[in-house]
Amino acid sequence: MTPGLLFLAAVAIYPTIYSLVISFTRWRLTTGGDPVFVGFENYAGLLADPSFWNSVRVTLVFVVAAVVIEFLLAFGLALVFFRGLPGEKIMRSLILIPMLCAPVVVGLLARFSLEPTFGVVNQLMRSVGLPTTEFLGSPDLALPTLIVIDVWQWTPFLFLIFLAAMQGLPEEIIEASKLDGASWPRIIWHQFLPLLKYPIMVGVLLRLIDTFRVYDIVFMTTRGGPIDVTSTMSWQIYDVGFRSFTISYAAAYSWLLLLLVLVVVNSLIRKMVARS
Amino acid sequence: MTVLANPSVVTRRHRRRAVTVVARMIIALVATFLFIAPVLWMVTTAFKTGNQAFSRDIRWFFLPTLDNFAQIIAGSNFTYALVNSIQVSVISSVVAILLASGIAYPLARFDIRGKSTIAGTILSLRIVPPIVTIIPLFLVMRAIGLNGSLFAIIILHVFMNLPLAVWLLRGFFEDVPKEIEEAAQLDGLNHVQTFFRIVVPLAVPGIAATALLCFVFSWNEFLFASILSNAGSQTVTVALTQYVTPVGTQWTQIMAAGTLVAIPVWIAALSAQKYLVRGLTFGAVK
Repeated sequence: MTPGLLFLAAVAIYPTIYSLVISFTRWRLTTGGDPVFVGFENYAGLLADPSFWNSVRVTLVFVVAAVVIEFLLAFGLALVFFRGLPGEKIMRSLILIPMLCAPVVVGLLARFSLEPTFGVVNQLMRSVGLPTTEFLGSPDLALPTLIVIDVWQWTPFLFLIFLAAMQGLPEEIIEASKLDGASWPRIIWHQFLPLLKYPIMVGVLLRLIDTFRVYDIVFMTTRGGPIDVTSTMSWQIYDVGFRSFTISYAAAYSWLLLLLVLVVVNSLIRKMVARS
Repeated sequence: MTVLANPSVVTRRHRRRAVTVVARMIIALVATFLFIAPVLWMVTTAFKTGNQAFSRDIRWFFLPTLDNFAQIIAGSNFTYALVNSIQVSVISSVVAILLASGIAYPLARFDIRGKSTIAGTILSLRIVPPIVTIIPLFLVMRAIGLNGSLFAIIILHVFMNLPLAVWLLRGFFEDVPKEIEEAAQLDGLNHVQTFFRIVVPLAVPGIAATALLCFVFSWNEFLFASILSNAGSQTVTVALTQYVTPVGTQWTQIMAAGTLVAIPVWIAALSAQKYLVRGLTFGAVK
């Protein structure tokens, strides 16, 4: 047990404290010199910084929209599949493919397919008479496009979990409800949701955690733009810390991100630990 | 059930059931198509010449070429990155499994004080966004001169995969019947011997599945690798980003590279499919 825990302590605990300390200093990596203690200056600066609040807003919109849409689509699709269909296994395996692609690959693929002049999506749109659209370059469409990309890649993840959970439901429950004359929406609402509460909770928890960290897709497609409409917190922190090298500001920024994530997922993760 | 004896009711039910199966089948097929079409587009583009890829009409049927793959492999950069990625993913997965087993087995079998606190703390590491982790670790790696080395990336990938590995292995070790272990101990094996001779052989499928998932996450990882690597220690995901230049983006080659990056993951996930749900949910859904 000890080597593993020592490793975790070295890679998790010490750097965490280090990061907290840095966040109370002023330290730019480009100018050299040592960190200077400045108290809460970085945090105060962040709370007064419009670009910080913009990134909070962008992140929350992205997280909520992506997770809600993924949940609804995955649940619906799992309902379509769970009573068995011809070719079910092969369709299920194919549906899983998007989530197995590296987000970097998905980002490249999105750029290629959504490119205005030769991209396949615009070609298809033109063939049915729709105008050429710059999905990733338009201030109105860039964020929704990123959400759609995330939904495409990660709905399969929730689908897989929900399907497995539904297939594990006792058949008698469904049969009994049907004999009672209950309609499907009622069965879903009164029987499925309560019984599937735990898998749903775990699936949604993991999606929340992962959408909060969205970075790879942004890096590959919009780099926070146009202007700052897709500037998620992870992207902003990267930009501040590793492109402007204002590492102390980035450290404070990252603590606020962690705090936000904790506030959102705290109760869910407690339930997950308690259940195991 | 006497109602069902009435033949007209039975046929009506059958017909209604047939209709819903057809409707469900159509939805399922459309959904499947929507999820794989983009990937299919990537793979087919990888086998196209520039002219075929950028023709005005969309071509699903064409004479495939291997030129794009040949050019990718011939360009030494990407081949180096492939070798780097294989090293990083394999080594980091093996180390993660070793370290995680050491934590997971006691958690699964012994009465340790604060057991759930340890498990909970390890799980909560999964919450921390990687951008939060990388800032101090980048500074530490820089201070001890490990920046730009594969070693630094391996350490971070081990760290990234440990929570998952601990939680999964704990479940797989718990699945091994306790009686077999007790019998082994009556035969005079100590805990370490019991673990290696009895538990590990019985838990091999679970351990392999865990290792495959660690491999996939390490292989696909980008943020840590991009910040910690230099020109010589790029992994494949980092190398991919280099293809996108403002001028002269070689899309057919990029799609070939993307396909090459994706294939190992598809194979790994396919081999672990039986444990995929369990693995992706930290053992919460079996």
